[in-house]
Amino acid sequence: MSLHNAMHNIEKSAIFTFIGIVLLFSTAVIAVLVAPNYVEQTWTQPTNPYQVQVYEVADPNLYISRAGGDNRQFVYHMKQDYTLLAFQETETLRIVATPELERYVTRNGDPHLKLTARLLMLRPVPLPLRDREKKLQLELQQEWEKQHPLAVHEKLPKPAFQIMELYAPEGSEAFALAPSDSLLENWVDKDYTILDGAAKQPYHLDPGVIYVANPIEYRAKQTYTSWGTIWLYDPRGEAVASLQQLTNPPMNFVSRRELISIGEHIYNIEGCWYCHTDQTRTLVQDVVLNGSESFPAPPSSPGEYIYQEVTFPGTRRIGPDLSRVGVKRPSRDWHKGHFWAPKTASKGSIMPSFKHFFDDDPSGGAPQTVGVPNYQFEAIYQYLVTKGTRITPPTEAWWLGKDPIKTLEIIEGQRKLP
Amino acid sequence: MDKYNDTPVKLMIYPAIFFMIVGMITGTFLAFNAFIFPDYFSGEYIHFGRVRPVHVWHVAILWLLSANVGLLYYFVPRLCGVTLWSPRIAYVSIGLWWLALIPGVYSFPTGTNFGWEYAELPNALGWLPVKPMMIISWILFAVVIMMTIATRTIEKMYVSLWYSMGTLFWAAFTIIVGTYAINWVPGGISRVNVSWFYVHNLVGLIFTPLGLATAYYFLPKLSNVPIYSHRLSMIGFWSIAFVYAWIGAHHMMHGPISQWLQTTSIVFSIWLFIPVWTVVTNLFATLKGNWEKYTQSAPIRFIILGTAYYLITCVQGPLMALRNVSEITSKTDWIIGHSHVSLYATFSFFAFAGIYQAVPVISKKPLWSEQLADWHFALNLWGSLLFIFPLWIGGFLQGMMWATWADGASYAQFHNNLVNLPFLATISEMYIWWVMRGLGGMVVLFGNILFAVNIFNTAFLKVPAQHSEKLSMAANS
Repeated sequence: MSLHNAMHNIEKSAIFTFIGIVLLFSTAVIAVLVAPNYVEQTWTQPTNPYQVQVYEVADPNLYISRAGGDNRQFVYHMKQDYTLLAFQETETLRIVATPELERYVTRNGDPHLKLTARLLMLRPVPLPLRDREKKLQLELQQEWEKQHPLAVHEKLPKPAFQIMELYAPEGSEAFALAPSDSLLENWVDKDYTILDGAAKQPYHLDPGVIYVANPIEYRAKQTYTSWGTIWLYDPRGEAVASLQQLTNPPMNFVSRRELISIGEHIYNIEGCWYCHTDQTRTLVQDVVLNGSESFPAPPSSPGEYIYQEVTFPGTRRIGPDLSRVGVKRPSRDWHKGHFWAPKTASKGSIMPSFKHFFDDDPSGGAPQTVGVPNYQFEAIYQYLVTKGTRITPPTEAWWLGKDPIKTLEIIEGQRKLP
Repeated sequence: MDKYNDTPVKLMIYPAIFFMIVGMITGTFLAFNAFIFPDYFSGEYIHFGRVRPVHVWHVAILWLLSANVGLLYYFVPRLCGVTLWSPRIAYVSIGLWWLALIPGVYSFPTGTNFGWEYAELPNALGWLPVKPMMIISWILFAVVIMMTIATRTIEKMYVSLWYSMGTLFWAAFTIIVGTYAINWVPGGISRVNVSWFYVHNLVGLIFTPLGLATAYYFLPKLSNVPIYSHRLSMIGFWSIAFVYAWIGAHHMMHGPISQWLQTTSIVFSIWLFIPVWTVVTNLFATLKGNWEKYTQSAPIRFIILGTAYYLITCVQGPLMALRNVSEITSKTDWIIGHSHVSLYATFSFFAFAGIYQAVPVISKKPLWSEQLADWHFALNLWGSLLFIFPLWIGGFLQGMMWATWADGASYAQFHNNLVNLPFLATISEMYIWWVMRGLGGMVVLFGNILFAVNIFNTAFLKVPAQHSEKLSMAANS
């Protein structure tokens, strides 16, 4: 037993071949492991500033109640000099403010949106100002009566206008109810000013910004139970002061970033990716399959996936492609019905049902036709609606016909897709 | 005393056969419960998405890779003329292998999927680091085989040894890239690219060379005819080593990845014709003038049918990388058919043949029943036709149906096509092909149960007296 046989009879040509193989193999490895960082920029570049801001600014700071059921609350974690806020009056909302804060209010009809990075919030008008509120309510209702004589004639009830006070909370962070449709963030890219001079954050300098519209102070009340002190939502309670109050039981708020990440994990472990692809290929049939009634969906770009731990481009379409599902199926109710009973919800589907995304009614009511969605449902829903909704700002969206790749022109001209 | 220590062979091959049966039962269950009677048995732990990786890991890793490792433990010492370098290390390697993989694979339904195709194994299950254990097991296995080759007494290296050595190196490297290095690159398409590099190297640089090493060793052994051309086999080996690493990106044809990478992968995919044709020519030509052996031995039939399927899969593969072919075949059942024809109808057939030759030798008994082996082959032949062709035909038809959405000149027309033929309508068209696939799968499963029975009886039953003649023959071989 000796090692001298190990290199027995190796010809020169074999050695050259071996060197060639090592070279080619290592270039392949370099292409795979080094290219993303140093060669191929397109694989790591975001598609637009909206995508960056929604993933990095909105998602980590938007908290969604996890208690289950359909009465979800969205609470924005706002930070001084970081979160951009807008206080904009509407037909039914009027804002009262001290003279010092007056300049932050965008009055009804003002085409220019005023944004600020200063930490401000709306709250119900406090006692000392109640008289002023009543007077304003009266004035507004008289104004309304003047404009709607017919309604007065028919003795319709007068509308109650919502009147809120703009005020500056103490501290450098605050929590506010921020209505959200969980699909698109408030985005403005023209006719806006950020007040108080220079931008406080790099993203304030982007050609468009995400902002929180009319945040209303989130209040909770301390309750004593046998298992300790807990906080529960109560509009007449006190302002929530720390993140722990929000995220600890029983309120159990979870940030949208975390939900999306859990959703991605669920998409992974449930094996959704064995039957659904997550890519609109550069093929006419794909952009048509994922398109709306009037416009084709733009093909997927590498930048869409950069915020994912695991990406699931997929190999098989036993179910439809999901890369634009946030646009095609935005409705939470649709997904509820579909996850509960896919074969009933879409005829011809062979998808298994996912009843473990639902719990029994916690109040112990009679068994219902559809269970109460639990956090797993919320997570997979939040993950799915990111698909296709973040590739352009809402104002430049392809479903409005403003596709940056001009997919429609390309496929109608039968030119090659990029 | 025996010249060769065959305990490692037994420790790999016998469990592998058991897991093949379990894996094929799982596959048949899925063919029925997910496609023919979708979601009949419904629930969190048995729906398609959770059970599919159990099937894939059973048949690809617990059966095929394990069986190939076992066959390597069998033929490498015999080609080197020495006993295994260190059986003790081999036992450790085998222990780690089963200890890591069995819990790992059975944990998929509980939600431990790692999320990347063919790399689903979780890093750890509680305190059990299953993935590192699997990698260490492979490295120990590589050390044992490499040292056996280095200490060989037969100087000339047969092609099977080249393929084995290549696999040992590539596999360790590929698995580490696909399971660890994938997290070193930025998220998104960069990781997808690493994943496909891993996936295709797994097939091309692990299953292919192991399967070919097996075929190159066992075909001459079984037929008693030397290999047709040693030089041709060398060209096949070195060219596969040359071109393989660059073709992973062809899984993303038309996908969200740079065109230069897609084009490069097409070029290298086409080059794959060279290693494939050399192998196919070589294996077929070995039986030239001796075709009567095809009729005499089921294992030889398995190798020849496997080679025919290998030719089919390797004509398909490079062509499927072409953009216009991929447009139709990609994302359809064609792909499922393609992956089954390579891992099942080619390399599993080679492994069957190897086991038919090896088990009588290591257990020093003749095969329990030649007739059962004939049935095993016949059922696999007809089962595989019934099982794989419907996947190809159905997949092709589905791809053609999807392509009709692109008929027309205006978006209104395109969209109208989609309204007339919605996606789910193309799914219901697949039903008949799925039924055939399920029936074919049952035939294959039944055939392989006969195989398992045959091998079990060969290995563990006492030899009836009338076989004593054959017994002495087997002992001498």
